[in-house]
Amino acid sequence: MTLDPLQLCLLFSSALFCVGLVGALARSSTILVLLGVELMLNAANINFIAFWRYGPPTAPATGVMFVIFSIAVAAAEAAVGLALIIAVYRHQKNIRLQEASRLKG
Amino acid sequence: MSLSAQFLWLIPALPLLAAALGAFAPRGARTLVAGAAIGALALSFFLSCAALSTALANPAAHLTHNFTWFELGNDTVRLGWLLDPLTAFMCTMVTFVGTLIFIFSLGYMKADENFKQFFCFLSLFAAAMLGLLVANSLLLLFVCWELVGLASYLLIGFWFHKPSAAAAAKKAFITTRIGDLGFLLGLLWLYDSAGSLLLYDHGHGVLEATALGALGSAATVGGLTVASAIGLLLFCGAVGKSGQFPLHVWLPDAMEGPTPVSALIHAATMVAAGVFLMARVYPLLTADVRQVIALIGALTALLGAVIAVAQSDLKRILAFSTVSQLGYMMLAIGVGAPGAAVFHLLTHAFFKALLFLGAGSVIHAAHHEQDIRQLGGLSTKMKLTFATFAIGTMALVGVPLVFSGFWSKEAILHAAHATSGSPFPFYAALIGVALTAFYNTRLISETFFGHGRSHAAQHAHENSAVMTTPLVILAFFAIVLGFLGTPAYPWLQARLNGETAVHGHSLLDGAGLMVLSIVLVAAGIGAGWWLYGRKLRLRIKASAPDPLATAAPRAHAWVVARLQFDELYAATVGVLNTFLATAADGFDRYVWGGIVHFLALLGEFCGTVNREADEQGLNAGFDATSEKLRGTGQAYSRAQTGDAHGYLRLLAVGFVVLALVAILGGVA
Amino acid sequence: MNYLELLRALLPETALVVGALLALTFDLSFGVRQSRETRLHAAVIIGTLAVVAAMFGALSAGVADAVFGGVLVLDELTLASRLGVLMLAWLTLTLTGGTARLRHPAEFVAIVLFATAGFTLMAAAQQLLVAFLALELASLSLYILAGFDKSRPESAEAALKYFLFGGMSAAFLLFGFSLIYGLTGSIELPQIAHQLARQGQSPLLSLALVMVLVAFGFKAAAAPFHLWAPDVYEGAPVVSSALIASASKLAGFTLFVRLLWPGFGPAAGSVATAAGSPGWLPLVACLSAASLLLGNFAALAQSNVRRLLAYSAIAHAGVMLLGVIVAGDAGLGPLFYYVFTYGLATIGAFAVIAVVERAGCCQKITDLAGLHRRSPLLAGCFAVYLLSLAGIPPLAGFFGKFTVFAAALNLGGLAGPAGWLALLAIALSAVALYYYLVMLKQALVVAPADPASAPVPVPADAAIVLVFTALLLVLLGLFPSVVLRIF
Repeated sequence: MTLDPLQLCLLFSSALFCVGLVGALARSSTILVLLGVELMLNAANINFIAFWRYGPPTAPATGVMFVIFSIAVAAAEAAVGLALIIAVYRHQKNIRLQEASRLKG
Repeated sequence: MSLSAQFLWLIPALPLLAAALGAFAPRGARTLVAGAAIGALALSFFLSCAALSTALANPAAHLTHNFTWFELGNDTVRLGWLLDPLTAFMCTMVTFVGTLIFIFSLGYMKADENFKQFFCFLSLFAAAMLGLLVANSLLLLFVCWELVGLASYLLIGFWFHKPSAAAAAKKAFITTRIGDLGFLLGLLWLYDSAGSLLLYDHGHGVLEATALGALGSAATVGGLTVASAIGLLLFCGAVGKSGQFPLHVWLPDAMEGPTPVSALIHAATMVAAGVFLMARVYPLLTADVRQVIALIGALTALLGAVIAVAQSDLKRILAFSTVSQLGYMMLAIGVGAPGAAVFHLLTHAFFKALLFLGAGSVIHAAHHEQDIRQLGGLSTKMKLTFATFAIGTMALVGVPLVFSGFWSKEAILHAAHATSGSPFPFYAALIGVALTAFYNTRLISETFFGHGRSHAAQHAHENSAVMTTPLVILAFFAIVLGFLGTPAYPWLQARLNGETAVHGHSLLDGAGLMVLSIVLVAAGIGAGWWLYGRKLRLRIKASAPDPLATAAPRAHAWVVARLQFDELYAATVGVLNTFLATAADGFDRYVWGGIVHFLALLGEFCGTVNREADEQGLNAGFDATSEKLRGTGQAYSRAQTGDAHGYLRLLAVGFVVLALVAILGGVA
Repeated sequence: MNYLELLRALLPETALVVGALLALTFDLSFGVRQSRETRLHAAVIIGTLAVVAAMFGALSAGVADAVFGGVLVLDELTLASRLGVLMLAWLTLTLTGGTARLRHPAEFVAIVLFATAGFTLMAAAQQLLVAFLALELASLSLYILAGFDKSRPESAEAALKYFLFGGMSAAFLLFGFSLIYGLTGSIELPQIAHQLARQGQSPLLSLALVMVLVAFGFKAAAAPFHLWAPDVYEGAPVVSSALIASASKLAGFTLFVRLLWPGFGPAAGSVATAAGSPGWLPLVACLSAASLLLGNFAALAQSNVRRLLAYSAIAHAGVMLLGVIVAGDAGLGPLFYYVFTYGLATIGAFAVIAVVERAGCCQKITDLAGLHRRSPLLAGCFAVYLLSLAGIPPLAGFFGKFTVFAAALNLGGLAGPAGWLALLAIALSAVALYYYLVMLKQALVVAPADPASAPVPVPADAAIVLVFTALLLVLLGLFPSVVLRIF
């Protein structure tokens, strides 16, 4: 059985998505959770590129445009995320996610 | 003097304005607010009289004024006002009795610090009640119906610092809402099948021939026609509001409110709203539905009278007698005599308001002593109250020929006798007549004759004129109103049926039944006097045993406990609770894992919803249910530990579940 | 491509962004020597002007099918939803002026304006990229607003949870978008709809729809994607919670209903009959049922006012999802009316909490005890909001419920999930009434815990918000056609 390149790309991006998801669910350091979320975003980006690259050749570069914007958004998201992690660190003096459980019920 | 349907909204608008004024006026503006409330209602009374004269000029016509409220796509929702003899009579009664009760409240609530609020609530109530009466759209009627319930909630709980009053208010609100749920479903169904909620709309209304024909011919499950199903659902609303069995439990507790409130809301007007609704939608009621109504009404009439026999709280006796009389009205609707029902509704409003105000006068004079065993000997100390109270009692009992209650009750008995259905309602009504005479004799002898059996009763004295004048006026009407509808000249019933000519017949037709009921009344009074009145001179202590209790202690205790309805409801609900809880527990034990646990919770939710529905029907365990429900919520709350990882995991689980649903659904 | 046309369509966003920058600049250049109070008021005034300008911009942008090659759409929904979020944002800003004690007032106002720009853009987006950008602009601003109170650990924690949850759902959304792009070769909604109508269902499409629905569930706080809501409502500064609960919800529903119906409409499936059908409608019905059950029952257990409001928001989200379901048949009127009036009532309730908190503490329900003695205005308005949320006529909440339920029952009667959901929602509104009454009882009936407790002063700005929302709820309840006529 041979896979065409598009299918390979999709498999790869799905794997990356799952790795990111598992990382986000399993790691206790908030920064690593954030990293997992970024991986998931990037998996989607790979999809966009792949669909554009192996789609009809005459199509406009929609996929690429989308990816450029989404990378910018991911950067902004990381900035906000790190700022919030620092805010939490100020109060609990570490960044373990389990310890941020004051609000519940 | 005439008032066209177009300006009918003025009747509820005036009290509403007074309520708004009361809400925004400063706390100290007591005279202003009370004056505005009384003035507005009095003005409404004059408008109602004008409306009455308009309606009587052409009793067969249903004068309407409809307008578009809003449009939604192709659906247009229209509201409107309706003027016919039923509306006009009811409005006149409500505004007149209401004005008198407002005046009485001036004296009764004089010392209350929330005097202003009280009048504000009263006005709000009057506005909602009048709105309910003039509505030509069931939707508008329902809105006012709920507002009436809200005002009643506020007024029952007026002395909220008493825990019993707060509990009673809650009980009343929730119990009536169970019925309202049925009402609402009925409305939705009606709107779905008839495409309109207007009652009369030049041939397109739901009470007009086209819609009735369509509803009557469409069938649903179990051989019921759509009209029957809708009629039953609407009747649910009336059962809740008018304290019919099995939702009567809230009405006696509602007596925790100030006495004028009991008189206005829980005797004269609001509780009659259910009867009014049934009279209003009478064309919609099929024979099946009427059968049910007659049975429920008769059962309520009998039960109320039985329970009233062994109560000792002055207001509660009157409350149970209200339950019983409302049963008579429903019975009349059920046996096809809406005219008689409304006749009894009107006379009852006057004499029961009179009785409640009289009771209020007694309670006020006796420093809030309500136990009739503690009272006594008031006939000499409060002559005017005694005389008017006696007139009210005789009207309620149906003392022949002079008093209004006699004629309206006769009309119902005759209708029940003439009906072709089951004979049970008729016999129940006859037994109820005797019992009514019996417990009222007891009530009046214990309260007014013999010696004062407590310090409060010994030092009671007559109240000021602001409280006694309404009593005298009401007493006058408690007598003369009966002559509007005697069998010899049934003017009121004819007008309600839309006829201009009155076809009376000789009093000798059906004289046998009349004599029978007179004999029953006499027997009831005689028995009451024999057991209670005769020996009063010898009794100076409150602790003497009740003669009925010595004769049949267990039965008596059972009746004292109001046939243990509250306990019955609590017990059945309790058993159900335990059973379902055990079942849910076992279920929990044998399932595994996070997702499945969640499903188990869902299952328990559904169980609880079921239970809640039953329970609210069966009221007494209300607090237990909310605790149980809250327990379900708390179980969930504990599961949410605040761990952000848990949140993210649930997100992933939710995704997987949804994906499974989507893909499996796609395959299927 | 006509850039002037684009600029005209984006006037509201432009006004908001310019306003935000002006507020920052003004504060940095003139605010240094002023008291914090003055700085806050200056920023709020600039912000209000920006919002008013944006409203004019939205009105003058007019109605156009497709702007800038189909990137944006200016239809009735855009207009109504833009005006709605702008009004809610204005209320939030005014409330900020009246009650907030902020160390960085201009920054707060600027971020509120950025978030609002995100909302108005969400209302107009007709293309996946613009939708994603608008959503992220709004979300990132809201994360910051939630964590704005640096002195309280709860605020930081709430913001972090909100952020992680939102970030993950954004990743799902983006992945779903990429799959849809792959399946249809386009990111513009009309083309997507066209393609989907030709292709029919496929497992990959189902997966993509589910991923979009995850993000929708997050935005709408629908179970089981609701977990962030109670924590954020409780931990975030009150004003932020008000914005998150009202304007954000309205914009979110506008965006997703546009994605789902005009975009993925051909893959909707059906919920009119009990027979299962592929598509996203049954999934939305699942979310709706779960939210109704979970929200109402969990709300019963709450003793914290804001958490209770959060769970009630989840329950309301269930009804709104029902509104999404009926939008295909009955149009957007019921949904928009419901979400907008819900937003008004919620912002009002949070305004009451903000004012009470300013005078002391407002965490537990019992902290509201004796509100009628301490401030009759607050207690009265609070009653209006809660009764509207509970759906008591004649307030707007009743009518919103009524239209949604009526539309749902019209959708095949009781034969299918839509009818069952409506029945479930009607039954559960009885449960809901209970917890609203519990709160009202504290506010209206119970005597103050401390008889000597001081009256709550109501600042003029907050009083405007309170009276305005309460009045609007009553008026919209009486004249719903004002809103419904738009559609």
